[in-house]
Amino acid sequence: MSAAGQGQNLTFATDREGTSAKPENQGQPVLVAKDVVVDYGGVHAVNRVSLSVAAGEVLGIIGPNGAGKSSFLAALGGQVRRASGTISLDGHEVSGLLPHQRARLGLARTFQTTSEFSRMTVFENLVTAAEGDTGSSLKAVVLHPRRTAQREQELVSHAWEVLERFEMTQVANLYGGELSGGQRRLVEIMRCLMRRPKVLLLDEPMVGVAPHLTGKLISDLRGISRDGLAIVVVEHAMEVVRKLCDRVMVMAFGEVIASGTFEEVAQDATVQSAYLS
Amino acid sequence: MSAWGFYVATLLIYFAVDLLSGIALNLQFGYAGVVNFGYIVFQAVGAYVAAVVTLGPSLGAGSYQQYILGAHLPFPLDLLAATAAGALLSLLVGLFSLRRMRRDYQAAVLLIVSLIALQVVSADVPLFNGSNGLTGVGWPLGQLFGVTATQSPWLYTVWSLVVVAVVFVGVSWLSRSPWGRSLRAMRDNQGAASAMGLNITSLRLQVFVIGGAIAGLSGGLLVEYIGAWSPGAWGYAETFVIFTAIFVGGVGNYRGVVLGVLLVPVIFLEIPRFLPAIGYPGLTASLEWVVIGLAWMLCIFFRPRGILPERRLHVTPPGALEPGALQPEAAPR
Ligand SMILES: Nc1ncnc2c1ncn2[C@@H]1O[C@H](COP(=O)(O)OP(=O)(O)OP(=O)(O)O)[C@@H](O)[C@H]1O
Ligand SMILES: [Mg+2]
Repeated sequence: MSAAGQGQNLTFATDREGTSAKPENQGQPVLVAKDVVVDYGGVHAVNRVSLSVAAGEVLGIIGPNGAGKSSFLAALGGQVRRASGTISLDGHEVSGLLPHQRARLGLARTFQTTSEFSRMTVFENLVTAAEGDTGSSLKAVVLHPRRTAQREQELVSHAWEVLERFEMTQVANLYGGELSGGQRRLVEIMRCLMRRPKVLLLDEPMVGVAPHLTGKLISDLRGISRDGLAIVVVEHAMEVVRKLCDRVMVMAFGEVIASGTFEEVAQDATVQSAYLS
Repeated sequence: MSAWGFYVATLLIYFAVDLLSGIALNLQFGYAGVVNFGYIVFQAVGAYVAAVVTLGPSLGAGSYQQYILGAHLPFPLDLLAATAAGALLSLLVGLFSLRRMRRDYQAAVLLIVSLIALQVVSADVPLFNGSNGLTGVGWPLGQLFGVTATQSPWLYTVWSLVVVAVVFVGVSWLSRSPWGRSLRAMRDNQGAASAMGLNITSLRLQVFVIGGAIAGLSGGLLVEYIGAWSPGAWGYAETFVIFTAIFVGGVGNYRGVVLGVLLVPVIFLEIPRFLPAIGYPGLTASLEWVVIGLAWMLCIFFRPRGILPERRLHVTPPGALEPGALQPEAAPR
């Protein structure tokens, strides 16, 4: 696509969905990162990046390939260790915690390379992703069989709800490894929603998703975020960013070069030169 | 008892012991993706511990065999001690080898652990009588009824089948539980599993210790039947026989494990041991390894998921008609 074409997209007027209804808990920052640095053997992939996302808000991160977007998400999720900086999640300092500990505090994420459980059915993929942390532990399973069975029932009906919402009931019995690329993305997102997270990190969630579902996914995500979920989404498709995100942060060479509303960053000269040309 | 009866009973007992190993490795590898190439060490420690806690106090360096922990424990403490030994050693080995390390490195570390263990036990004679090993091990459960394992192999057969049945039911139940599902998630994608709140290190350690406990038990069961145990009985290669069995039978499917353990260790390996020697001495023994290799290759070419693959869970949407859905009690409340 030519730079001119993208520029045109960028100047579209806002028609973001669901901006009118604001929830009560909006405005409370749930994920705050300050001066996060990620090093891969001395190279700063992420250099002093900060963000603050509130419940009910969708923050987009855009930027050219290799800008450090995925590395920054990995630092937030705990998949890579940050070299310095602080990350707080729902009031807890989490920068020293392991991924599963952050997950238990309400963080869910998808990965740029799809990460479905390939030898488990779609349905099992979903019920494995449960809210709460210890319901599937050995201790719970052995010592509290009744509670476990009850929890299973709840998970099963929740899973059917989510499958229906994403029009995926037909593939419930397929193995993750038998799905198409777009379906795998959807499984990842559904898995996250099964966990009723407080913060959702999405790394290029729309890649390979069919157009009619993209629109639906955008309105679903906005709807869920309005119920008090904070979303950080890395995305290359400008249309998606424009419709989905309240605020946009632009990264290049590991640093934030601009941030603001979609319209503001689209007008920004630095962004135009670093990203769009 | 006829020679044939003795032979069949022995095969069945070996089957039970190998099935215990198959169950343990299937839990660890088939469900959790933990590649325990050191499995045999945990069986060996169970056998040694069962031996020394039933042999009575060691008579020391001058006697024909010396060992640690000598005691006369009654049933069931002998087998409990063997089980605990397998679990404890697994915990120790697991704590340093299963931490944040890639799976292939873990497999290599565990293989090396089994080589080191063999050297240590062979060289450290005061521990378990070195390379000569221990002999004269009895059967505490049989002693309660005044019989020995060699006198009543059928009794021993029934007993070992009972033990393996209990373990089979327990482990397959656990594997079908939400806990077992978490193990499979970890097997399929560790990064995603931990991002969903599963504590990978702890899950890995749990299957390692449970598998180790079963291994210890299997060692105790084996040594109380054959009465002797030495480094010759637990070469690292024995682990691969069981791995072949679960590959051929079907990884992630306990019925497949039963089939694989019947086919590979019992039919291919144990039966030739009882056949008359053909060719030069040792030919049959070395052919066993050819058989193992062939089984792997055939399996990879023709049934990469084994004869009985992992079974798919089939679910139907809540609205769909199911058997019983029309009955009054199934109506929405
Ligand atoms: N595991 C790694 N080891 C070493 N370097 C890495 C690693 N992962 C990423 N990098 C480097 O860090 C930089 C940022 O990569 P990152 O994946 O975060 O970019 P990105 O903004 O997500 O790009 P894209 O839009 O292509 O996904 C790149 O220069 C990349 O080469
Ligand atoms: Mg990326």
